[in-house]
Amino acid sequence: MADRTTDSSALAAPVASAERGRLDRRLATIGGAGGLLSGLLGVGGGVIMVPLLVLWAGYRQRDAHALSLGAIIPISLAGVITYGAAGKVRVGYALALAGGSIVGARLGAGLLARIEERPLKLVFGLFLGAVSILLVIR
Amino acid sequence: MSGALLYVSLVGFGFLTGGAAGLLGVGGGIMMVPFLTLVTGLSQHAAEATSLLVVLPTAVVATVVLQRKGIGNAWLALRFGALGAVGGVLGALVALSLPGHVLRVVFACFLAAVAVRLVRDGLTSA
Repeated sequence: MADRTTDSSALAAPVASAERGRLDRRLATIGGAGGLLSGLLGVGGGVIMVPLLVLWAGYRQRDAHALSLGAIIPISLAGVITYGAAGKVRVGYALALAGGSIVGARLGAGLLARIEERPLKLVFGLFLGAVSILLVIR
Repeated sequence: MSGALLYVSLVGFGFLTGGAAGLLGVGGGIMMVPFLTLVTGLSQHAAEATSLLVVLPTAVVATVVLQRKGIGNAWLALRFGALGAVGGVLGALVALSLPGHVLRVVFACFLAAVAVRLVRDGLTSA
């Protein structure tokens, strides 16, 4: 089925613009894949959304990270509601972790705003390599 | 580990995870779930549930910081993430009917391939 909203040049995956702001079929698929993985493996889904946003949808690494973080909000909210209803959440542990993580997230996101594209790709690639090993040995 | 020391280590690990999450564009669950099961002895499900409650404010804070700096597009991200929330429910249903180890190995192979490609891109000229 032809996609009327995408011309043929888009198939060559140019650098997509986050400012364009259109929810196209690729973004919808990436969101679905991120959520699906989140449900399957119990993680937020950023680990799959970032690579797909960069390699498939053609976003710059920095924009992909920012979009992934925003997409994680509704995904994790759905997870919290589902698990919360099941009474599984340890609120005390979560508050302690969150107290640290919101401070860390400000610093991390601030660094993301400044870091160059190439070192960011390198750091993220090394992180994914470590995650792939962790998943197998766990 | 128990008492105050446990909570201090949770805050410290949260800080490191939040920093990595904000930079790497992930929620941090992939780091927090193993930590919670190994250090606090929570069950896998309790660890995942607790981790998601941490991921939510972490992603909100990072998104607000980036939106203020004009990076990304929070409204677009929230919309495709809402589709992900639907996918999450389906994923949970599928997970119940498949052996967990098979899923992890398949996914690990995918990530390893992506990692090689990104490291190569990071080392060679853009």
